[in-house]
Amino acid sequence: MLEVDQLTTRYGAITALHGVTINVNAGEVVALVGPNGAGKTTLLNTVAGLLRPADGTVRFNGADITGAEPADLVRAGLALVPEHRRIFKDLTVEENLRLGGSTLRLHQRVSRVHEMADLFPVLRAKWSTSAGFLSGGEAQQLAVARALMCDPKLLLLDEPTLGLAPTLVDVVFDLLDRLRKEGRTLLVVEQNATRALQLADRGYILRTGHLVAEGSGADLAADQGLFESFIGGADGA
Amino acid sequence: MTKLIQTIVDGLGVGSTYALLALGISLIFGVMHLVNFAHGELITVGAYTSYFFFLHGGSWWWMPVAILASAALASVLTELVAFRWVRNASPFTLLLTSFALERLSHALWQIFISSKQRTFRKPKWVFNQFELLGIKFEVMDLVTIGVTAATMVVTAIVFKRTLFGVAVRGAAEDFDAARLMGVRANRVISGAFAFAGLLAGVAACLILMRTPSAEPTLGSDWLLKAVIAAVIGGLGSFTGAVMGGLVLGLLETLTRAYLPDVATGWDKFAPAAVYILIAAFFVIRPDGIFKVSHAERV
Amino acid sequence: MGAIGQRLGRSTIASAALLAVVWALTTAYTQTGGSSRVLLISEMLSNFILVLGMQVFIGNTGVLSFGHMAFAQIGAYATAIVAIPVAAKAKSLPDIPFGLADTHMGPVAATIFAVAVTMVIGAIFGIAVCRAGGLAPTMITLAALFVVDQVVKNWGELTRGAGGLTGIPIIRGNGWLWVGALVALVVAHQFQETRIGRFSIATREDELAAPALGIRLFSSRYAAWVVSMGLMALGGSLRAQSLGNVNPKQFTLDAGILILVMMVVGGMRTVSGAVLGTVIITAGNELFRQLGDPQRWDIERFPDLFLGATMLAVMILRPGGLLGDRDLAGWLRRTMYRRRMHEPVEPNPGSDTLHAKSIIVHFGGFTALDGASLSVRPGEVVGLIGPNGAGKTTLFNVITGLVDETDGTVMLGATDLTTAPPVLVARAGLARTFQNLRLFKNLSVRDNVALTSAVAARHRSHRLRPDVDDLLESAGLLEFADRAAGTLDYGNQRRLELARAVALAPEFLLLDEPTSGMSDTESLAMVESVRAMAAKVGAGVLVIDHDLGFITRISDHIVVLAEGQVLAEGTPDEVRANPAVAAAYLGSQA
Repeated sequence: MLEVDQLTTRYGAITALHGVTINVNAGEVVALVGPNGAGKTTLLNTVAGLLRPADGTVRFNGADITGAEPADLVRAGLALVPEHRRIFKDLTVEENLRLGGSTLRLHQRVSRVHEMADLFPVLRAKWSTSAGFLSGGEAQQLAVARALMCDPKLLLLDEPTLGLAPTLVDVVFDLLDRLRKEGRTLLVVEQNATRALQLADRGYILRTGHLVAEGSGADLAADQGLFESFIGGADGA
Repeated sequence: MTKLIQTIVDGLGVGSTYALLALGISLIFGVMHLVNFAHGELITVGAYTSYFFFLHGGSWWWMPVAILASAALASVLTELVAFRWVRNASPFTLLLTSFALERLSHALWQIFISSKQRTFRKPKWVFNQFELLGIKFEVMDLVTIGVTAATMVVTAIVFKRTLFGVAVRGAAEDFDAARLMGVRANRVISGAFAFAGLLAGVAACLILMRTPSAEPTLGSDWLLKAVIAAVIGGLGSFTGAVMGGLVLGLLETLTRAYLPDVATGWDKFAPAAVYILIAAFFVIRPDGIFKVSHAERV
Repeated sequence: MGAIGQRLGRSTIASAALLAVVWALTTAYTQTGGSSRVLLISEMLSNFILVLGMQVFIGNTGVLSFGHMAFAQIGAYATAIVAIPVAAKAKSLPDIPFGLADTHMGPVAATIFAVAVTMVIGAIFGIAVCRAGGLAPTMITLAALFVVDQVVKNWGELTRGAGGLTGIPIIRGNGWLWVGALVALVVAHQFQETRIGRFSIATREDELAAPALGIRLFSSRYAAWVVSMGLMALGGSLRAQSLGNVNPKQFTLDAGILILVMMVVGGMRTVSGAVLGTVIITAGNELFRQLGDPQRWDIERFPDLFLGATMLAVMILRPGGLLGDRDLAGWLRRTMYRRRMHEPVEPNPGSDTLHAKSIIVHFGGFTALDGASLSVRPGEVVGLIGPNGAGKTTLFNVITGLVDETDGTVMLGATDLTTAPPVLVARAGLARTFQNLRLFKNLSVRDNVALTSAVAARHRSHRLRPDVDDLLESAGLLEFADRAAGTLDYGNQRRLELARAVALAPEFLLLDEPTSGMSDTESLAMVESVRAMAAKVGAGVLVIDHDLGFITRISDHIVVLAEGQVLAEGTPDEVRANPAVAAAYLGSQA
């Protein structure tokens, strides 16, 4: 479904991604883990069209989408829940959802907003509240709900549990599990590497902009050397 | 008491025109961090449009439509020919770009029309007076306040209820997040310029009904006041822009009316006093009444 | 004294050279035409001084001002009021206050008087302008323009209102204007060479990094403001004395914009740019005026079109102006630069310990730090690690004064830094780098380091100050010393930021992810760099990094932060072996 081939992305003088190749098949959950500064967020942002790659290609359902506008990608069925959630704090919960469905026709949008309210009862309770007043867990649910508005085939999630209390981490993982059971394809960047890999069908480990390991999620999670490959070994790698 | 009420009505009249302009400036600042010094030129565009139509048998019945349309069109055009090319530049560059446009606009009117004032008809009823509770009002006062209020309501509805309005507000807060929702950057910015143009068009109608004349530098004085109003309110804040406009209008008329009573012989410094108050305000609250924060990560 | 003499000499050479070129051009021009050409040159010369006046403030601080013309106006009126002969004044200004009726000064005294008066009035406005951040200063200057305009128009006793004053004794010839221009050039050049001038440039380049290196925003901006006031007054005064009259129409916002355009088109960051802009705009204006003449193409106000179009084109194509950062004075400084050799001296290590105790920070409802404590002993290297969002950078920001803690204390030895703003924290001896690099991008590599070295000379004189070139050499940057910092590759930019922090001769270096974006081999090399650089000034190090390989090698002691609290600490080996640390990084099992 998603094929990323030899992707290189730079910020000015910094090369954040060095020719990374990954793929995600339809119906799969793929985890992307690694320490800070590994290039995970850069990878997702490049795929979603927020950043332009310096080199390499991205294909989605067979079509070349390298450097495409996010607006076109959303219409093609690819949505990103960005790092730090980035919900619109000045807008109400309902307005956030409406904006999430900006590519839909009016009647579709209205009915989809109501579906989201059913799916996420927490949000319904805060319907007309400014999103800035939501708690961390509520905000994360809103961010996911907002991305689901356009009914994406592939959902990219960047650090969905960042800054959440442990009980809320469970809520988010339950949500991911639910999405997976619905048959959505997910590419998840997660700091909670162990749990993410346990949930995922497959995983990739990224470090300093390079791919350092890939395999089935369970294998990677069980690997005793995971921590070392993750964080840069004592012998410096 | 009568004097006070009349002064306040005057102040609200001027202030609401400032508010309409300030709203447009604040809106554009919100989406692209541009303090648009070319915004006042939209009034000039409206003025010359009216002048042109009156030469060819215009009527005030439909003139507002022409003014609104021309102002909105001109606003979108400025984005297309100039601001689009400096979209990610520093606020300093953006501001100077708008200044360059303002200069160009002056020059073009002077070259293609004339630097002299061109006048046309005003609606007959504008300065008709009527009495309410023993106080004399001009019809135009009422029209100004009424039209502004109606425009504010429409603006509020657009930004609260329509997808376009929600998209603009979202983009003002976090442009990239809005793009991730499928909002097209070009479209939302063009739309914001068009809307700001419409607001300037409404302001232009109110200004032109009172003083039906066109000259190249017509927009500049209004613009400066409107920028000050927008910054007083807090750039990027819609409520702030309206408040800023009204506060500035009231401040001007109140000082002009009452400073002579308070300090005899100093009345000639009333306009200077307003600006000293404004300067003092910015020293105390550099971010305006409503601070709009855009977090920067260190 | 030698250095000061050298600077002054350099400024004078650069000024004289620039002026000689302008003089050659204008002489060629006036020789071939009538007396109207001489008038054009006098106008250009007074504009020249005004452009330099604006450049000193706007160009160096990056703060836009619309109000500068108001102060040229004050200068012009002050000149007129004291220069107009007593008899003439009795007629035009019969009710003149302050006993000015009997005052009469010659041209030189009047000019000096005008400059002094303007600088005093300007200094008062300047306090308001330089205090605020964001757009407020620009708005205050705009308000100042209107205030002065209104006062001039309405204070008839002193100014004769909107009609203006005539009868100012005219100085014949352009000689005085050339002298004035030379003075303005030397002042503008010299300001960029002084410590405070360079500080103001640093604040333009990065409003956040400058205070973090001990540079105070207000004082450097204020100095630029007051100096620029003097030049504006000089320009206004000489203009009044070359025209023989003053009136408010000469000092409108529009007139100010013309000056602003001259400055911006050539390149406001340098004096050479301001000069080039003045010449180009004056010449272009005149050309278009002649083309628009009724006998030619008959286009009214043709020059306005030229102005608008030129400015728009420059903004879109070259926002830094035609010259950007190219500058005759800068070139001279580079070519005349001689490295002074110093005997290597043993550094004197600091003796104070850095303590952050029980720091609590709430952002809205979110608790970023929840009672974290750490200490760094003199000369020690402490690594601060933890998963994303653990609060590492927040802790840095608390220590360096960028973020106010809800509770807790920060102490450096016996000095309480808990509530100190960044600039005082830096001067106390904590120098930091930033996660996303905050170099002074348009300045040369050497200037980046020299700036903090200048702060150290002033505020950290008790410490041994490292030599700038020696630091650059150790950082492997000496060969790039004259390049703009923004043009370096990423690794070198990181090394430069480190060298810049070291130049402060700090007690402690605080490094926020010095290896982020680097490859493993580069990170490894950074271990030696950091240790060597810190040793040069005997500084301790507190370093955040996500690369455990790097942290293990460099640190004497490691503190692990998770969810705003200290999860573990100890030697690198102890921390590595701690299962809780691995769990914090990898997350708990489901």
